[in-house]
Amino acid sequence: MNIELADQLRSDMERFTRDIYVPRGLALRAYRHYQRRRTTLRVAVAAWTATALAVGAVAIAGAAGAFGSAPAPGSAPAPPAQTTAYVLKRVESALAPANVDNLISLNRLVFPPGLTLEPVVGGLSGDATTRGGTTIGREGSPWSVAYVLHWAYQGAQKYSAYGPSGQHVFDMRVSVAKGSVTETVVIYTDRTWWTATKTAAGPRSAGCAANSIQLSAGPGNGWPAFIRSQLACGAYTVVGHQVINGIDAIKITGDRGQPTLLVNPATYLPIQLTIGPLRNYFQWLPPTSAHLAELKEAVPTGFRQVPPPTPN
Amino acid sequence: MEPGRAVADLELFLADRGDDLLRTAVLLTGSKEAGEDLLQAALERLLGRWHTIEGDPEGYLRRTLYHLAADRWRQQSAWRRQLRLLRPGLGDAADPFAEVEVRDSLVRLLLQLPPRQRAVIVARYWEQLSEAESARILGCSVGTVKSAAARGLRRLRELSESHRPQDAAERVPAREQTT
Repeated sequence: MNIELADQLRSDMERFTRDIYVPRGLALRAYRHYQRRRTTLRVAVAAWTATALAVGAVAIAGAAGAFGSAPAPGSAPAPPAQTTAYVLKRVESALAPANVDNLISLNRLVFPPGLTLEPVVGGLSGDATTRGGTTIGREGSPWSVAYVLHWAYQGAQKYSAYGPSGQHVFDMRVSVAKGSVTETVVIYTDRTWWTATKTAAGPRSAGCAANSIQLSAGPGNGWPAFIRSQLACGAYTVVGHQVINGIDAIKITGDRGQPTLLVNPATYLPIQLTIGPLRNYFQWLPPTSAHLAELKEAVPTGFRQVPPPTPN
Repeated sequence: MEPGRAVADLELFLADRGDDLLRTAVLLTGSKEAGEDLLQAALERLLGRWHTIEGDPEGYLRRTLYHLAADRWRQQSAWRRQLRLLRPGLGDAADPFAEVEVRDSLVRLLLQLPPRQRAVIVARYWEQLSEAESARILGCSVGTVKSAAARGLRRLRELSESHRPQDAAERVPAREQTT
């Protein structure tokens, strides 16, 4: 019975495709489409390389800040107003001081291979160079850093940097009190530590530049302020969704190479921020005793105090 | 890649094997237009590997057709909705268009099978590939080919029996039969 059916099927297939012939020019059409796709890919790769170069000098500033940046000219086409406006408004609201000041933000910043990050008076100084599309750092540098855990809560911040093999490189604690910023840095690689106090600078806009991250110490600053100032530039658009850790996050990105932001669709708090090759993963934690303890810096016994580095 | 040379080589290849490949693509997708799109997509993949494929590119192209067809089925639920719309008409002997529908009814019923079964049926009964060859081209085991082919044929039989014109006539509501 199956043979009859198979014969019938084969005969129906032949009839169905009897008048089917390859149209003229299909090879050329395929070639042109293939070339267009290749060109698009090349442009995308070139854009990524340019961003990587621009991020070559990443600075995460303390109160003194590291990079000023001018707002980019507003030449962007109008975004799809309702969705984008609604989402951005919700994100800005979620990140307002009244909503995040009672949360600890824990960020895991993952750097491209080869990046060096050095604690200096006034913040952290990053350096990376790009050769042939690959980020390379200073060879053998003691400041090679693969990722940083950044804790922040009500004006206190702590950066813990780890090297490519997971070794603890340094901690930097930044606190603001009575108009002064105190930085305490513990360097695990040579068992030293130093501290420096400076007058706190006033709050300043992080600007709209795509190639620098500038965080200020003090209440209401840090990542929430950075992201709000970026969104206020007006160059951001909701571009879709991306699943991350099982969450169907809303994806927001700028049109001039600004960071790409993924936000939780339920809370509108950031989940991930990408700037060039740098990834920044967010957690928003309640201020429990255990979490608050992470913000404290205790100099380990036996570490030698040294003068703070002289600014270059 | 030299554009003129690559396109000329591809044209020569298509002149020889293109019709067969397009017919397979049409059977995999269910329409001439979708089949051409599928073949073009496979040709683009082939162009990306033009210098690394030694000898006859037909095997690569044929495997790509099946894989892309499966991808499209997975990713484009809109296609599935289209396929559901292509159910065979029940037919009326006096209607020449209905006759055409009945004539290729098994192909149209094929559109109702799940992707894997459909691909296996096309490979086995259109391309006349052995179970082992079908398994190789589809990237699955011989056992999977056997079971998918058996289930596919069984389902086609059920569908064709339930859609035969005489069955349709039998299903005419009683009120209409008495008039």
